[in-house]
Amino acid sequence: MSLYSLIVENKYILEIFYALIISSVCMLIVLKTDRFYQLSLHRGIRYFRNAFFFYGLAFGARYLFGLFSDFSLHYAFVLGMVFEYFFVMAGFFLFYSLIYKKVESPREHYKSSLLNPKIFVFHMVALIIAVLGYLWQTYYFMFVSQILIFFCSLIIVFSNYIKSGRQHKFLKFYTIAVLLGLGAWILNLLAALYFEWSKIVMMNVGILNIIFFLLFLFGVIKVTRG
Amino acid sequence: MAAKKRERLDVIRDILQKIKENRQIKPTRLLYASNLSPQMFKEYINELLTKGFIKLEIDEKEKKTFSLTKKGQDFLCEYKIIENFIENFGL
Repeated sequence: MSLYSLIVENKYILEIFYALIISSVCMLIVLKTDRFYQLSLHRGIRYFRNAFFFYGLAFGARYLFGLFSDFSLHYAFVLGMVFEYFFVMAGFFLFYSLIYKKVESPREHYKSSLLNPKIFVFHMVALIIAVLGYLWQTYYFMFVSQILIFFCSLIIVFSNYIKSGRQHKFLKFYTIAVLLGLGAWILNLLAALYFEWSKIVMMNVGILNIIFFLLFLFGVIKVTRG
Repeated sequence: MAAKKRERLDVIRDILQKIKENRQIKPTRLLYASNLSPQMFKEYINELLTKGFIKLEIDEKEKKTFSLTKKGQDFLCEYKIIENFIENFGL
């Protein structure tokens, strides 16, 4: 039996494992960064932590999605919408952690980083994308929004790397991670548009996603080793 | 050439470091040592008190002194790591 057919035959179990592994990686990142946030109250760390908190929730929802999709189509659709909402929020937070200095004044301080006037806009956009996706039964809205977000993030991260990549080694890996993330979203869109969710294409998306999250975990562990 | 403006975290580190070196320090001495304007100094001190990094003690003669809390000491130990994290992730 080839590795490919083994993967295809155990698709659901593998998907559940995949979601569990990624949500565990995200939770590890959240725990690590939350400690630094509690010590420094640095807003960038706060938004970065929130991004992985939402990625963790998104993959948690995906895990449940995997469990319920065989039992109830209704639950699967609702969970799909929740999954989309968390995913879009995560992308927004990751992007915002890179640009917040240009958007917020240094004296601006919100008690809650999950619900304040600026983040409220993200919630609304994420909600609209999730609802539109649910109504049209499509992921296109999420894919396009994430491609745009990752493209903008890539420009910022790459310019950070050009500016100070020599002193701060992880900036190179951050750029690679965002590039892989962008690649995964583009492949997702292509799989939906042209390849009818081809299993091989989706397997590659999964691999890119795992590398994306592991790169961030590697960075957080390496940089915070002390 | 003008000296590079200190980042917010550097200012906090400098204030905490000064308090640590002196164990207890009077507000006026700390103001001079911190190299900040009185207005900025007040803002930073209020922030550090709110965060629980420092505590203000007033003795029976109404003399005020600042000292470092456990949280402030932890922050000083982890400052380098946090700074490194912020720079490596472009935050």
